[in-house]
Amino acid sequence: MTGYLVRRVLGAVPLVLGIATIVFFLVHLAPGDPTLYMLRPGMSTEVLERMRASLGLDRPLHVQYLKWLGAMLTGDFGYSYSHSRPVLDVLGGFLPNTLLLSGSALIVSFFLGIVIGTVQAVRQHSLLDSGASVVLLFFYSMPSFWLALMLILALSLFARNVWEWPIWFPASGMVSTGYEDLSFGARIRDRIAHLVLPTLSLALVLTAGVARYMRGSMLEVVRQDFVRTAHAKGLPERTVVFKHALRNALIPIVTLGGLYIPLLFSGAVFIEYIFAWPGMGRAIYDAILMRDYPLVVGGSFFFAAMVVAANLLADVLYAVVDPRIRHG
Amino acid sequence: MVEPGAAGAGAPGGAGGGHDGAGGGQDEAGRGHDGAGRGRDGAGGGHDPGGAHHSRGGRFLSAVLPGLPQIMVGRMGAGSAALLTWTGMLWILVARGERVVAAARSGAWDDRLALATVVVGLLGAWLWSWRDVGRAGGEEEIGVSQWDLAVRAFARNRTAVAGLIVIGGLYGIALVTPLVAPHDPNEQLGLLTHRYLGLSAAHPLGTDHFARDVLSRLLYGARISLAIGFVAVGISVTIGTLVGAVAGYLGGIADSVLMRFVDMVISFPRLVLLITIIALFEPSIFLITAVLGLTLWPGTARIVRAEVLSLREREFVQAAVALGYSKRRIILKHLIPNALAPVIVAATLGIGNTIVLEAGLSFLGLGVQPPTPSWGTMVDDGRANLLGAWWLSTFPGLAIVFTVLSFNLVGDGLRDALDPRMRT
Amino acid sequence: MRRMVVLVVIAALGAACGGDRPAGAAASSDPFCQEVLPAVDAFMAEARDRYPTPDDERYGGTAVVGAGAELPFGMNAAVVQDYGSAQHHQFVNLMTLVDYDEQFDPRPYLAESWEVAPDTTSVTFHIRRDVFWHDGEPTDAHDVAFTYRTVTDPATGFPNSTYWDHYVKGPDGVEVVDDFTVVIRLRPHSEFLDAWRAVGIMPEHLLGDVAPETLRQHPFGTQCPVGNGPFVFVSHTPQQQWVFDANPAFPAALGGRPFLDRYVYRAIPDQTTLLTELLTENIDLYLQPTPDQAESIIENPDTELVRFLGRDYVFIAWNSRRPHLADARVRRAITMGTNREEIVEVIQRGYGTVANSTIPPFHWAFDPDPATAVAYDPEGARALLDEAGWRDRDGDGVRENADGAALSISIKYHPGNQRRQDMVGAMQAQLADVGIEVRQQVVEWNTLLGQIMDPETRDFDGFVMGLSVDFRLDDAGLFHSERSEEPLAWAGTSNRQIDRLLEELSRATDREAAMPLWAEYQKAIAREQPYTFFYFAERMSGVNERLQDVIMDARGEWVNIRNWYIDPAAR
Repeated sequence: MTGYLVRRVLGAVPLVLGIATIVFFLVHLAPGDPTLYMLRPGMSTEVLERMRASLGLDRPLHVQYLKWLGAMLTGDFGYSYSHSRPVLDVLGGFLPNTLLLSGSALIVSFFLGIVIGTVQAVRQHSLLDSGASVVLLFFYSMPSFWLALMLILALSLFARNVWEWPIWFPASGMVSTGYEDLSFGARIRDRIAHLVLPTLSLALVLTAGVARYMRGSMLEVVRQDFVRTAHAKGLPERTVVFKHALRNALIPIVTLGGLYIPLLFSGAVFIEYIFAWPGMGRAIYDAILMRDYPLVVGGSFFFAAMVVAANLLADVLYAVVDPRIRHG
Repeated sequence: MVEPGAAGAGAPGGAGGGHDGAGGGQDEAGRGHDGAGRGRDGAGGGHDPGGAHHSRGGRFLSAVLPGLPQIMVGRMGAGSAALLTWTGMLWILVARGERVVAAARSGAWDDRLALATVVVGLLGAWLWSWRDVGRAGGEEEIGVSQWDLAVRAFARNRTAVAGLIVIGGLYGIALVTPLVAPHDPNEQLGLLTHRYLGLSAAHPLGTDHFARDVLSRLLYGARISLAIGFVAVGISVTIGTLVGAVAGYLGGIADSVLMRFVDMVISFPRLVLLITIIALFEPSIFLITAVLGLTLWPGTARIVRAEVLSLREREFVQAAVALGYSKRRIILKHLIPNALAPVIVAATLGIGNTIVLEAGLSFLGLGVQPPTPSWGTMVDDGRANLLGAWWLSTFPGLAIVFTVLSFNLVGDGLRDALDPRMRT
Repeated sequence: MRRMVVLVVIAALGAACGGDRPAGAAASSDPFCQEVLPAVDAFMAEARDRYPTPDDERYGGTAVVGAGAELPFGMNAAVVQDYGSAQHHQFVNLMTLVDYDEQFDPRPYLAESWEVAPDTTSVTFHIRRDVFWHDGEPTDAHDVAFTYRTVTDPATGFPNSTYWDHYVKGPDGVEVVDDFTVVIRLRPHSEFLDAWRAVGIMPEHLLGDVAPETLRQHPFGTQCPVGNGPFVFVSHTPQQQWVFDANPAFPAALGGRPFLDRYVYRAIPDQTTLLTELLTENIDLYLQPTPDQAESIIENPDTELVRFLGRDYVFIAWNSRRPHLADARVRRAITMGTNREEIVEVIQRGYGTVANSTIPPFHWAFDPDPATAVAYDPEGARALLDEAGWRDRDGDGVRENADGAALSISIKYHPGNQRRQDMVGAMQAQLADVGIEVRQQVVEWNTLLGQIMDPETRDFDGFVMGLSVDFRLDDAGLFHSERSEEPLAWAGTSNRQIDRLLEELSRATDREAAMPLWAEYQKAIAREQPYTFFYFAERMSGVNERLQDVIMDARGEWVNIRNWYIDPAAR
């Protein structure tokens, strides 16, 4: 078991490094560079050259790469041009926000998915079952940014101005202005209010997958002998479902979490953009447009590391949980 | 036993749109389905050998309205498909007569394609219905192949059949669009007078910021989006199947290396890749399709690998090995055809996925070049005036949703139909 | 699963515990900031005691401005001059030596007076004595001298280096006479004070020792700026917001502290989200809505649209180095074949004025004479093209020249700006009518910049762009033939008359004398048509009615921020 783990971790390191390297060369290949967007009338090429030199962009590419690599191995990911701060600081600022959003979306989608999937399995073939499937698939089929915009218009603008509901949600940001003047309880409520729309936009799309997985898993478990035994013992349906079947059905779901994490990070770019959520996806996107090389490469490095870690976690969990796989 | 180690079989691979996943991963659970299949549609499903088709009455009805007799005995799926095709094509001939004539005269390939579709649709629907009615009460079926079983299981699944009809309809409409669309999709009808018109009889879906008819753009956009979906998935399925089969069969070092490579592609930040590629080259349809195809194949690879790993130990493969067939032959001729079931499912789901991703790319500004319409760019174009002109984004958005929904329903239906069957 | 919920709640709680600075504010780990910020806090606390808020109900409240873009280098006036940042330097956090009144004439601001030498080779500024940096240090002539040396030093990379073309650059150009008197040397040229309206003065006591090349990366700009203007920097959360508080120590002679207690600038990229936030009263001011959104803002009872004709113009630059665009007649024909009025009417919804040169219609140098304009005249365009040798020789609807080459031009633009895309689309249809084929090409922003700025390649026929002008107009970098290798000389113009006019105009110090030259210049541009100028856009803002006294004009949206106040009834 530990051998398996160690081998996977060792394998992951060159993977992440390889990805970072490819990103490095790829982003330098793209035409344009960070100095261009600062151009104004009258600026001569000389000034541009100076700027490039000060950023180290006039050296040959492989020299730049080696420099980056050397620094990176000592934990120095360089300085972001567009933020004027060390890359690690910048990423460190954005990462928790992304995690918060992705984490919430994961929780919501799993919770909803598990509940709906279980109900579907228990009431298999009923109208509820097919109805739920269609509704979930409906959301699954939507482009996430469109869903986000629709949600904003519905639950923020219309809810407040047109339908005059008592509850409506803010359309952007993580906290309100004047957050620091709020009481502790009010702060929590504020943060949650700002989380609702972005989380829904991400989670609704994923719920379908979780629900179907759960449904299938429950159906499989329900046919097993131990469930039949429970029924034969005369246990009430509820106990059978919740106490016996559900626990076993949940096992493979756990690995789904590992699969969804990379999706959440990449899918979050749209959500972060629309909701003005200061997350990593958007940071990397802006950085690419501005050719902020250190930030792009550093960000991609961490992104890849997180994805690889998530996959690793998924595989390990699966191995832990299913004794048939232990052979590694 | 299936090797869940590659249980990552959950085909991730969503750049941007962030979907997918659940499809492939379902395989394990899906296989647990009991043999009775979904059996949703209890009443009226299945063949009705003889009986309800009064031969002559049925034939007459079939000659005039193909598909109606089938509907009358409860075979909704096949019947409505035939009927819709028939009436649709007739409508084209009647309501768009001049266009049909013009198309016949012009040499443009898409006009010819449209005409061919109309002809094929008419003949096909009519002939099928005729033969089907004639066959009623006739043949016995001796032995039932796996394929038949699968088809029947699929046919019992109402939603899946509905999805299939929708998809068929979409592709059909995409083919006959030059005859059907009321306006040229790029024609500006008068910037000062026709901009942002709401829904009306003349413009059932309104006009956009460029005074272009939205309905026409939607129809032409269907072609682009459906084509991109189809081709991109084609690319990804081909590459993925090959890689997965080779990795699964050969095992050992080849397997490790290939799977490492798959991991790398999955973990790669797609955004960087997309933006950089599009910055380097112009965002043409070809490029977008290629990029989408090339980023989606790892999912298929994993699924195929899992399948192959389990198939590898079966007798027919061992027999092939004993017979001395080359690895290449075994992979291509024996393993892949048998591993196709989950691939088909993944492909169907993948098309839906790709269409959504294409919309996402437009959002980033990396979509199809204007003025060519595609659903994704239409949704994005409408974003600038979402409140004032809601119809610009809504209709393409709904089109995407329903199309992808249909693909997903079909994919689900296929999975349910194919998996338990192929298990023996 | 239960554990995950608990973890998230803990994380939320942890994040909820903020300090005095707003939540999420990147607490700067940089030693420079850690020294500077406490000094600011201390001085501000003392100032609040010493200058209590006057008794006027307008004082108080927080105003939130929402805009699409971040302020990339913040308050570092030496390295950045994009519109948003420059506005904050001029009106919010820093001070400039002079500012403009409603007639766009210079008046004292940080400089309480100045004298110009009779031969206009030097100007002596007398600095106010009652202005303090937000950490307590007085602002004096040394700061001005430091700023001047820094921005004229090529190593710094000050973006608008044209400002100093006719100044004596570097340490030789500035002399500190005493603590509050500074002399700047220049060669006589027009509107030389405009540079001092635009550049914020930077603190020498904090940045004097910083090497100019590293100024761009210095944390001062985005993490701990220290200004001397009406608003004090409080915090900056990257990609989210900037927070400023009122400066109680702002000189009473200039109005004292602003009415607002606090001013927040929020960066929200998506325009639908911005509109929603305005209409749901989460932000008080929405900067630059799209022309299509303006209607919703006007209809909403709680918001109004404030508009003014701005200094940004949209144009298509033509590469006259390319054979089919080398003939000025072709370029004029293109403009004649484009219905620019209709485009402004339709695409800008009328919020703009057709432009014929780089001179805004409200500018004193503007000449409304029709000879300076190229009217929409498709017939005339066809005649002109015929005359230039372009005829449709093969009947395909597109003109060819004598060699058979088709008159087909590609116009590039970048994604993300719907209006520019629409412009090109409209043009495409209109030009097809006169026999010119237009191809649209979308190119990613940074890539496009590379293609147009590189003097070696200049890989474009035409591209769509917007530029904003200062009050001092100087097109030499754009159109002068001797500067055609510079990055911004896109058009590749080589016209003797224009060269001569540009040189004379840059030296003309007297407006009266300059006006006929400007008139001649505009006519010359009309004949040369290096660009097809489209329009000067109206700048707009959606303002919630609780934010009062918001006056905006061509000086900028923030020109009046000291006098903005929140309606006491709406607080």
